[in-house]
Amino acid sequence: MISLLSKLFDFKNKMGVKMNILNKKLLISLTALMFTVIGPANAEKLRVGMECTYAPFNFKTADGVLSGYDVDVSKGVAEILGLELEYVCQKWDGMIPALLANKFDLIIASMSITDKRKEKIDFSGPYRDSVGQMVARKDLGRDLFDSAGNPDAAAFKGIKVGLERATTYSDWFEQTLPSAKVVLYDSNEALYLDLLNGRTDVIMTNPMKAHLKFLSKDGNEGFELAGPVIDDVAYFGVGVGIGLRQGQEELRDNLTGALKTLIKNGSLKEYALNTSHFRSIMTNGLIKY
Amino acid sequence: MEAITGWWDDYFFATIVVLKIFMASLLLMVIFGLIGAAAKLSNSIIAKKIANAYTIIFRGTPEILVVLLIYFGSAIALTALFQVFDPSIKYVDVPPFWAGTFAIALIVGSYATETFRGAFLGVEPGSIEAARALGLSNIQTFIYIRIPEMWRIALPSFGNHMLSLVKDTALISIIGLNELLFVAEQATATTGKPFTMFIVVGLIYLGISTVITLFVMGLEAYGRSHLRAVK
Repeated sequence: MISLLSKLFDFKNKMGVKMNILNKKLLISLTALMFTVIGPANAEKLRVGMECTYAPFNFKTADGVLSGYDVDVSKGVAEILGLELEYVCQKWDGMIPALLANKFDLIIASMSITDKRKEKIDFSGPYRDSVGQMVARKDLGRDLFDSAGNPDAAAFKGIKVGLERATTYSDWFEQTLPSAKVVLYDSNEALYLDLLNGRTDVIMTNPMKAHLKFLSKDGNEGFELAGPVIDDVAYFGVGVGIGLRQGQEELRDNLTGALKTLIKNGSLKEYALNTSHFRSIMTNGLIKY
Repeated sequence: MEAITGWWDDYFFATIVVLKIFMASLLLMVIFGLIGAAAKLSNSIIAKKIANAYTIIFRGTPEILVVLLIYFGSAIALTALFQVFDPSIKYVDVPPFWAGTFAIALIVGSYATETFRGAFLGVEPGSIEAARALGLSNIQTFIYIRIPEMWRIALPSFGNHMLSLVKDTALISIIGLNELLFVAEQATATTGKPFTMFIVVGLIYLGISTVITLFVMGLEAYGRSHLRAVK
């Protein structure tokens, strides 16, 4: 920032205007008020984008402390690579646009690695499995899946399915069960609310999240996980990874290397156990490199 | 309601953020509105065209779209601009506070443009003629005749614009500003009590807008005080 300002002032000096220290100070403080200009000197500081509302992966506690599995992973990676991190809270819909518009440098927000997203951004290797499972009313009275564990299109006739917009779950539904009547929501909370209200009959989300945030709470005894855990790699990808802008191969490989180290030294397992009820994530035999 | 314990401080600071956005955008909104009205009432065809384009665009597009475009667009445009001077600059970021404030001030400012224009046109021609007859200069006429008559006409709609501004601050949560709606979402994520959390947000907004409504009512009464004897 200073170099830009001094350039501007050099230009001014050449024009024969006497440089005024007060003016310079004023200009710097004005610029600092409106924009943040970051030059190469701050290259070691990386900004991390996450939702901050996605318990148990990234959320703020009542004390205002950012915590969760994603936050722990980011801190672990930063320690290994010697990075300084700054967190930016960003809504899910704008996550990739914000990364591309340089609002932050990394996405560590439980974002599944998919081919569709890879067209826009780059990913490190995975640091968590990515799976989906359905939650349905217990009195729904029909089997949504056949005996082989495949979804039965006929069974989805006449019921409404709640999904989060722009997620792997909605992609999977669009391709696998195009005839299903889908209602799209902007947040995970809205899914549970409308399932409870009866506006939808079935939802699909991460089973661990469904357990923590919905099934384990009082008053929701009438609902259950339905059908098998779906981990179709074509839709859910190889897992959840760190997103970054394309063309940063060195950073990407460093991140993947750091994640491998965290897996080898057992840190990822430790992070997962930091959050209660989190054990199920590990039993799936986390991540195949 | 016990779920809310521990979140009061977050709500408090978010309310401060909302009030700060409101103050900053109110100031900008008045400026945009006055410039727009001045341009529309001027004799310059170019100024009129620009002001018309401004009110057509910002009154005719969804508010959330304007907020998103300004937030993401400004970062890309400013980075490109600054890199012309210094290629080593990696990025220029406009914080959500300023991007959001600017966006909602532009939107509500476009409505205020029409309000102010109408109010200036509503000034009694007879008052202007009287001022001329008394030998007041143009500037004196503007300060002593036009402004005092105009703000009384503009006040009811202006009160509406202030309420729009307060409610539009909730839009800024989409670009990640830590305001009330965002706090409620964070609290919901941890406590799983969406109704409690969002009702608190509703009550806070209702409180702020009630204060504004009362303030505008007081101003209107003050503006009519010279007519009390007529009644």
